[in-house]
Amino acid sequence: METKEHPSVEKKKITPDKCVVTGKGDWYFPQSDIYETPDNFTILIDMPGVGTENVMIDLRDNELIINGEVAQESFRDERVLYNEYSVGHYHRHFVISDAINRDKIEAKMSDGVLSLVLPKAEHVKPRKIEVKTE
Amino acid sequence: MSLIRWGRTGPLNSLTHIQKEMSDLLDILSSAPQVEGYSSMEFPPIIVSANEENVFVRAELPGIQINALDIQVVNDVLTVKGERKPVVPAARATYLRRERNYGTFARSLMLPEKVDVEKVTASYKHGVLLVTLPRAPEAKPKQVMIQKA
Repeated sequence: METKEHPSVEKKKITPDKCVVTGKGDWYFPQSDIYETPDNFTILIDMPGVGTENVMIDLRDNELIINGEVAQESFRDERVLYNEYSVGHYHRHFVISDAINRDKIEAKMSDGVLSLVLPKAEHVKPRKIEVKTE
Repeated sequence: MSLIRWGRTGPLNSLTHIQKEMSDLLDILSSAPQVEGYSSMEFPPIIVSANEENVFVRAELPGIQINALDIQVVNDVLTVKGERKPVVPAARATYLRRERNYGTFARSLMLPEKVDVEKVTASYKHGVLLVTLPRAPEAKPKQVMIQKA
């Protein structure tokens, strides 16, 4: 596994009309990893600032829509002196195939990282075929 | 929108289509973040703010174990060190997409005010680190009473 000396993060802003839910504030494109194991597909999405209760995951037709809303923490009496990132909501969508068992999709949010486990449907799981001897 | 007779798609129509595609492309490109030299490459990205009592440093650090973070304040320099450990899948896995990075990082920054090193606190919530640095008594604004002569 490759390890970079300095992980870097780049926040890509997206125009609100590309998002399914339009709320107040800006929307960003979160970074994600997808990996496949014999039984599942796992999607990891970085959404710093988003709590468990503010993640909305929608499955419409074959589109998996993920919206993460950041709590609008106000800088009430604070003066911002230096700013390297902008705070905003997250939106991302993925098209999923029939190879996924849609009833068993699981989602977990921890430390600003959403992990989605999409189990494979029975008919696409790798199967060992036994060779019979006569 | 006006009605167009069926079957009359002239060459102009495809040009309008190209024009639309181009403007969509420009939209996407213009919404990309502005690269501001070296600072945009730093990890973690930070926001420094202050009020009369404290200096706040926020950093976006999703998916980090607290014990993998090391925060130090020496005089007026704050150092955040840590490691973002890769998620190791349980079974053998094939990566289909890889955008998130892992690795070690260290960042130091000069604080805008003198702070009370003993009273610095840090919290980590939903992948965002917040370091609260109370200003040193001598750096706090003082109200000057005016006396009538």
